[in-house]
Amino acid sequence: MKDQLVVSKNFKLLTYVLIGIGVVSFALGFAFDAKRTWANYLLNNYYFLSLAVGAAFFGAIQYITQSGWSAMFKRVPEAMVAYIPFAAVFFLLMFFGMHSIFEWTHEDVVQNDPLLQHKMPYLNIPFFFARVVLFFGAWILLTKLLRKFSLKEDEVGGMVYFEKSEMYSRVLIFVLAITFSFFAVDMLKSLDPHWFSTIFAAKSFIAAFMHGSSIITLIVIILYKTGKLQDLNRSHLHDFTRYIFMSSIVWGYFNFAEFMIIWYGNIPEETIWFVKRWHGAYEVLFYANIIINWLIPFLVLMPRKTSRSKMFITPVIILLMIGQYTELYYIIWPSVVHEAKFGLLEIGTFLGYLGLFAWVVATWLAKASLVPKNHPYLKESLHHHF
Amino acid sequence: MNKDYILGVFKDEESLVSAFEKVKEKGILPVEVYTPYPVHEILEGMGNKTRISHAAFFFGLFSAIGVLAFMTYAAVFDWPLNYGGKPFNAFPSFIVVTIVTTILSITILTLFTFSARAKIFPGKVPEIIHERATDDRFVMVIDKDSLGNNAEAINSIISEFGEIE
Repeated sequence: MKDQLVVSKNFKLLTYVLIGIGVVSFALGFAFDAKRTWANYLLNNYYFLSLAVGAAFFGAIQYITQSGWSAMFKRVPEAMVAYIPFAAVFFLLMFFGMHSIFEWTHEDVVQNDPLLQHKMPYLNIPFFFARVVLFFGAWILLTKLLRKFSLKEDEVGGMVYFEKSEMYSRVLIFVLAITFSFFAVDMLKSLDPHWFSTIFAAKSFIAAFMHGSSIITLIVIILYKTGKLQDLNRSHLHDFTRYIFMSSIVWGYFNFAEFMIIWYGNIPEETIWFVKRWHGAYEVLFYANIIINWLIPFLVLMPRKTSRSKMFITPVIILLMIGQYTELYYIIWPSVVHEAKFGLLEIGTFLGYLGLFAWVVATWLAKASLVPKNHPYLKESLHHHF
Repeated sequence: MNKDYILGVFKDEESLVSAFEKVKEKGILPVEVYTPYPVHEILEGMGNKTRISHAAFFFGLFSAIGVLAFMTYAAVFDWPLNYGGKPFNAFPSFIVVTIVTTILSITILTLFTFSARAKIFPGKVPEIIHERATDDRFVMVIDKDSLGNNAEAINSIISEFGEIE
């Protein structure tokens, strides 16, 4: 079948090898430097979850805006979303590393700290995991429903399932906006429980959306190169890059707003977060973050010609993949590891997760017809042109 | 305005685009096409490349540099004042002003550039080639001199899809 993806043996083998590398790195990491390994664990968990959540958001946006152009690609975000249950397991396993990662889990620290005592009702381990279960439950339930409708649509056709998907996409967007904000605060901001930043959740959300949509574009380009989705044309690419371009501007705005307000207000409780991050290697990351996640996408994807050419888009996306890593490293490392270490452990664990993510996406892409069959906007998408 | 034109008046986008393409096949480019909203096939078919986006980019670039330079000059060299212990070169606090001023200058300068190129100014008497062109009709304007031997063919193409005036 033309529209059916068959995952090649070599690709599967490659993902298994990558997963193997990841497992070995984790085993060695726990043996030698447990704290740093847990930081890696959190970073990679969050990294790939944010891609999946960004993809879920992307898919939901296509439904509620009734976008025609993206109909033929909707299996790609669906396949990425299939990673969420895997991430749920990983996040629950974090239970064993809570003391290595989060300062507020240490009872002796909390007892001598009025602010942390004040935050106890929210920041405590049972409620923390209750939230994790609740959030993942909601995401998995809604995304599974959308996937089910999408597959049913292939068999039955008509408008019934499209309208249902649209309805549930509205719910999903609403749920994601609230739960993912809390989730980002739980996982990343509570690493520094004394710090205040209102825009942090919004920034994390837009970062997830930006990197999620750029990975969708990357997967689409890879599928095109391997001979699938041959109807991809420059107009589709232009639409994809509009998403990356827009969200990178919003990210730059949020990031700067967060920094500017804190810099200008100059309250010690808030500036300490940046003071920590302005020493040694982290200072480089502060600027690298802005350049990678905002400046380069902004300048490269601005002209019409470059935002339609794979030659320009692919390097930008690969850069953005690094950008999400540096951003999370910049958030997590100063609070957990205290030293800017980067070595084989980081690379190995990242490769492990990358292998798993690639395996999940490929397997779920192969589970259904690559191009949806009865989507009402399919024709418009195949001949998209502007 | 002593030239003779043929006007094709169409009721919808599809007939305009079909007629437009057939006219182009004859090797004739309409002088102008008026549409109630941008029609992509027409924009591409007319072959008009706009340079206004480049102009806007450079307006933005220069105004951003200019505003930053002005603020640095004012706050650092000309009249340094101590605001809450901040360094004189308080670069992050210049950014907001720069963004806002850049947007303002791009908007105003691009508007002026466009008006100058399109020869529009306040109080200008509008040249309306067909009354319904300001309304919901699609109007294609063809120069009669450019027709040559094809006049008959063009007439039949237009009347197939719309009306001739």
